[in-house]
Amino acid sequence: MTKPILSIQDISKRFGSTQALDSVSLDFYPGEVHALLGENGAGKSTLIKILTGIYQADSGSITFEDRPIVVRNSFDAQGHGIAAIHQEPMIFPDLNVAENIFISHRNRGQIVNWRKMYADAEEILSRLDISLDVRSPALGLTLASQQAVEIAKAISLDVKVLIMDEPTASLSAHESEQLFKLVRSLRQQGVSIVYISHRMEEVFALGDRVSVLRDGKLISTAPASEVTPEAAISDMVGRQLGDTITRTDNERGETRLVVSNLTKNNVFKDVNFEVKAGEVLGFAGLVGSGRTDVGLALFGIAPADSGSIAFAGETVNIRSPQQAVGLGIAYVTEDRRGLGLSMPMSIQSNITLPLLQKYLTRLGLLKTNDERDTAESFRKRLNIRTPNVDTVVGNLSGGNQQKVMLSKWLNIKPKLLILDEPTRGIDVGAKAEVHQIINELAAEGIAIIMISSDLPEVLAMSDRILVMREGRQMGIFSGESASQESVMTAAMGQANLSLGEAV
Amino acid sequence: MNQFWRNIRPEQLRELSLVLIIALAVLFFGSQIENYYHPRTFNRIASSVAILAVVAAGQTLVVIMRNIDLSVGSIVGFTAYFTGRILVNSPEMSPVAAIILAMLMGGGLGVINGLIIAYGNVPAIITTLGTLAIYRAVLVNGANAESIITSALPTWLVDLPRLNAFTFGEIQIRAVVLLALIVVIIFQLAVTFLPWGRRLYAIGSNPHAAEMAGLPVKRTTVSVYAICGALCGIGGFLFLARFGTITVVAAQGMELQVVAAVVVGGVNIFGGSGSLIGALLGTILIATLEQSLLRWRVISEFWRDAVLGLLILLAVTTDSLILKNLRSWWGRSTQTDSPSPATHQAEIEVEIEEVAS
Repeated sequence: MTKPILSIQDISKRFGSTQALDSVSLDFYPGEVHALLGENGAGKSTLIKILTGIYQADSGSITFEDRPIVVRNSFDAQGHGIAAIHQEPMIFPDLNVAENIFISHRNRGQIVNWRKMYADAEEILSRLDISLDVRSPALGLTLASQQAVEIAKAISLDVKVLIMDEPTASLSAHESEQLFKLVRSLRQQGVSIVYISHRMEEVFALGDRVSVLRDGKLISTAPASEVTPEAAISDMVGRQLGDTITRTDNERGETRLVVSNLTKNNVFKDVNFEVKAGEVLGFAGLVGSGRTDVGLALFGIAPADSGSIAFAGETVNIRSPQQAVGLGIAYVTEDRRGLGLSMPMSIQSNITLPLLQKYLTRLGLLKTNDERDTAESFRKRLNIRTPNVDTVVGNLSGGNQQKVMLSKWLNIKPKLLILDEPTRGIDVGAKAEVHQIINELAAEGIAIIMISSDLPEVLAMSDRILVMREGRQMGIFSGESASQESVMTAAMGQANLSLGEAV
Repeated sequence: MNQFWRNIRPEQLRELSLVLIIALAVLFFGSQIENYYHPRTFNRIASSVAILAVVAAGQTLVVIMRNIDLSVGSIVGFTAYFTGRILVNSPEMSPVAAIILAMLMGGGLGVINGLIIAYGNVPAIITTLGTLAIYRAVLVNGANAESIITSALPTWLVDLPRLNAFTFGEIQIRAVVLLALIVVIIFQLAVTFLPWGRRLYAIGSNPHAAEMAGLPVKRTTVSVYAICGALCGIGGFLFLARFGTITVVAAQGMELQVVAAVVVGGVNIFGGSGSLIGALLGTILIATLEQSLLRWRVISEFWRDAVLGLLILLAVTTDSLILKNLRSWWGRSTQTDSPSPATHQAEIEVEIEEVAS
């Protein structure tokens, strides 16, 4: 490595009483993947926002190609060749791929030359080895393709520093692999990449240099070859992390749910499985394989077209979430912001929302004291870190929001709990806590379906694992036959079905 | 930060400042208009508040649920006219029966709005824009170019606006004002203490999450439009009593005043927050300005609507510029007794980033 393309010196940023960044200095080199690690709130996001001009640093300086620069807004950042790609791609669904790629360009003249735009877009995509129809609207693209479009957009702007903020959080393993290929090809082209992820495997597979932030301070920065995942984690949390939580065995009860030949046209077909009380059934598969759709069908949001569901021994036809809640089925969504929580409302109001009829006086008025007791007991039980339950949910960190969502659904005392990506986008500590909670709930006799893209999580936390691929059930793996390789092979469509127990 | 400030939410600050603005407006017009501080001024303002406040209460419920009802003016006109027609034909009808009739009529029109929005999945703004025109057209055709005239109405109705509930020194509190206050208080209590009210806020702040939580979103939508319609029915009844002479253009354009009152009163146009008390204060401010501008010769009457428009824009702008920052500041300050500084910091950072983005 020669000279850094981008350097920051003694960057500090304060919000009110909080020192979000405290005199952080870092160098970013061309052709290098620089991984940034840190728990939620460590200052990674603030740092990115300063680099992309969304925030201004209180003190310190930024040097780009040996010249000091000022980044006042994202247009300034683009001008210097600094671009960021976020966890949720910022795509205009009604515009086509080519228009999305060139959306930020300002020097392409007043009149759109469509032919040239398509040709240029195709040229950029082929340079990145991405196969996409530049004329198709972005609407139908998978998350992975949307991210590819975002990267193409950055490339079209002649990006020199590309910041990727948890780009794989919503991607399946296969899609992530495609993204890694892109990242490596960008690195080869001399782009400096700032890579942020909660997934250690990725950081060490891709990163050339690893820096750890904690409480706004730079704790360590070193070539990836000189750092171990254990050392990085202990830098992040500032304490020695014990073994990660795994499934503790507990007694199984009666068969709670039997699903036979469940089919939703063009989405999934012939899904068969059963879950016992006290059992955790993992749902693995690539994003778009139909895992979540089976969950949505069981919860009545998008009911199946044919097949049968027997719940607690009785055949049921679930047509709405209300009916599912009435039966004792809870669904903890993967989309906290969009589908899970009412962000402007308090913790207390969110938790009691599905079950308000249980908090009534004889006159039909709400017993707010009982609501508070419920919320307080969940705050203690799930260790929601907040001074009181009146706090607005939108002000909480991701891990705490996840716990509020869990509380909300545990409060209906579910017989079947469907967890969709229960630890997505939350930090290491909160993740271990959620896993511990899952163990406790299973021990209490709740039947649990856990949908997850995080393969190690599925393997560690499930009693059995159902693998789906393109709407088909590829098999159910139990303890001994389940390994990262076997599950991934099934998910990719080369399953040796004799491995799985046929159902 | 001391205990006092911690207990005042930004929304309440908004309500306090409205009270202050109303007081300033009264002081200003008092210095400009001769004989302004007269019980008659109070009564004029109060009577126009009574009608507007009842309708604004209905609109508030709708807006909290992240919807809007533009057809309120047409429903008020419709119920005013047809209640009047029925009273002309059967003068022996009792006051209670008449008011219930008006509520049923308005409620029916509201149910139509609600059904189209909830089950037809037509956006509220389009649905009620359509019914605004349709209800008015039905009124015009049903009226056959005949107006309701005061002399044909039963005397109890004509005397109703001047009926006193009780007297405070020189100031008389009219029965219609009391009725409006009762309506506002009942619904303020309902949204605070009934699960139905909580659902309204939940649907308004995140409709998808509400559906996922198993809440009866469609049924609640229909119920809210039905109530809004029924309150417009009461508004129509009060309108009939106040003016006596009802033509087919009665209460035309009232939706502007009502939406203005609700928005000025701090009800978030994007749903999820706001109170009926706030909307009442908004109504009082607007009625005060309207009635006072009428007597203040400096501004031509043609500019009065512009004043309303300006108020709406001002209210929404301060909402997005000031209140949002105030809310995050309040959120932060109430967390100062957090036990662990590290997690505290994490939460604050997330919050700050959300406010900025």
